[in-house]
Amino acid sequence: MSIDQAIRVSWTASLKETVWGRHQTAVTRLTAVVLFLAFWEWAVRAGKVNPLFLSSPSLVFEKLVEVFADGSIWPHIWASGQVAALGFAISIVIGVPIGIAMGRSRFIRDTVEPFVMASYASPTVAFLPLIILWLGLGIMSRVTLVVMGAVFVIIINTEVGVSSIDRRLIETARAFCANEREVLLKVIAPAALPFILAGFRLAIGRVLIMVVVAEFYASTAGLGYLIFQAGANYDTALLFTGVIILAAAGVALNSAMRALENWIAPWRSAGNE
Amino acid sequence: MIEISAVTHRFEAARGKPTPANVLENVSLTIEDGEFISFLGPSGCGKTTLLRIIDGLVLPKSGAVVVDGARVTGPAPSRSMVFQEFNLLPWRSAERNAEFGLELNIQKTSKSKRVSVAGDNLDKVGLKGFGNYFPHELSGGMKQRVGIARALSTAPQYLLMDEPFGALDPMIRELMQIELLKLLGNEQRTIVFVTHSIDEAIFLSDRIVMFGTRPGRIIDVVDVDLPKPRWVDDEKIKASPEFVAYRQRIWRQLKHELQRADPRG
Repeated sequence: MSIDQAIRVSWTASLKETVWGRHQTAVTRLTAVVLFLAFWEWAVRAGKVNPLFLSSPSLVFEKLVEVFADGSIWPHIWASGQVAALGFAISIVIGVPIGIAMGRSRFIRDTVEPFVMASYASPTVAFLPLIILWLGLGIMSRVTLVVMGAVFVIIINTEVGVSSIDRRLIETARAFCANEREVLLKVIAPAALPFILAGFRLAIGRVLIMVVVAEFYASTAGLGYLIFQAGANYDTALLFTGVIILAAAGVALNSAMRALENWIAPWRSAGNE
Repeated sequence: MIEISAVTHRFEAARGKPTPANVLENVSLTIEDGEFISFLGPSGCGKTTLLRIIDGLVLPKSGAVVVDGARVTGPAPSRSMVFQEFNLLPWRSAERNAEFGLELNIQKTSKSKRVSVAGDNLDKVGLKGFGNYFPHELSGGMKQRVGIARALSTAPQYLLMDEPFGALDPMIRELMQIELLKLLGNEQRTIVFVTHSIDEAIFLSDRIVMFGTRPGRIIDVVDVDLPKPRWVDDEKIKASPEFVAYRQRIWRQLKHELQRADPRG
């Protein structure tokens, strides 16, 4: 073997190595998913499970294409999206100011914290019957449940972001004669922003859960309603279609928020739940 | 001119603990315009607290600081601080950090003016071309250069420096001392410089105020009579018999003070 060949061989080997090294995780993940789906498909086709209780990947995929093709899914996505967006927006509008106030004032924190902690720790879904009793079966009930599920994680993250700020930075701003408003806008707000965004990201997951649960009981449209009805009608393909759309929305929103966090605060990534 | 008269200060005792000794006890001192003065002493002698009192970040329990005839009741644009831990805003580039003081209401400046002042000051401290870098991308020495540029941006008469090179490694530290003197040049700016390095104090200062601890107080004031500008031939000055004599004298006094305050060290 000439030196030239030897170089070429080792070059190819190292290329293989780096390609494998770089994509190792992706390849492993993809293989696992494909094997899982193949096993699932086989189990259904071979009659190992009753198709009444478990659809197969190919049938779910067919259904997925169908509901988008005939447009029957859009009213449900629209209904759920409306509740999710409204609930998320209201959670932000309520949660961020409360979190800032708690982070800035010890008195306010001590007053509000027991309620926030109790609500955060309790299973919000348990309030649904009460909410329906008060607000009926309309959109108000669903939005309220979403807000109750999402607002506390926003409050807590905002509070942590505001109260964990480096006191030396505030002192520095004061040394340059910043007034209270300037300290808040130029030091506290930017310092807390990564925490607040992490709170939003964590809230999104809770928003989706609450939308679905609320639609199980208090709706006549929406993905949660669709899933519930599909279950009642033994239409497991449709049921999984709804689940997949929700999962896709969750993953997409979560990655979008992460990208936003990295873009806005590249010097730090924070997040607690 | 900064007139410090009978300043006494102590921090509140933690619950259940005995009242601590005064951080500063009956400190009086006059700092002339254009002077480079150092506060030198061991940790806990109140030198940093006195600097904060001069700036107005801390108000003394008793006594007063008068700057240019007006009693200090809070920070003012005529005084700028440089901090030991740099205290840069991590979400701002070097350039945006350097213009921070000019953005504030107290001396609202147009964006174009701010950018040009910040740019000039970054050039001055040797950071030309680094304006777009963020603090986490800069070394310790570079961060403090930004800190100095930020302090200079408001064109202060008084530059208050709180152990500005204390967090840097020893070689960078000596380099920064030279650069600081070079930067100040012939400007008639008053510098109050807190340090616990004897060599640093001698090399930089016109006058050294030595502090003792428990309670914090002035134990001596030394005029440093070494040729200027000192940065031109710093190695020679640091090796000169006069420099060594200053170091010997100051160390003897501080050693005595330390042994008196706590014989165990």
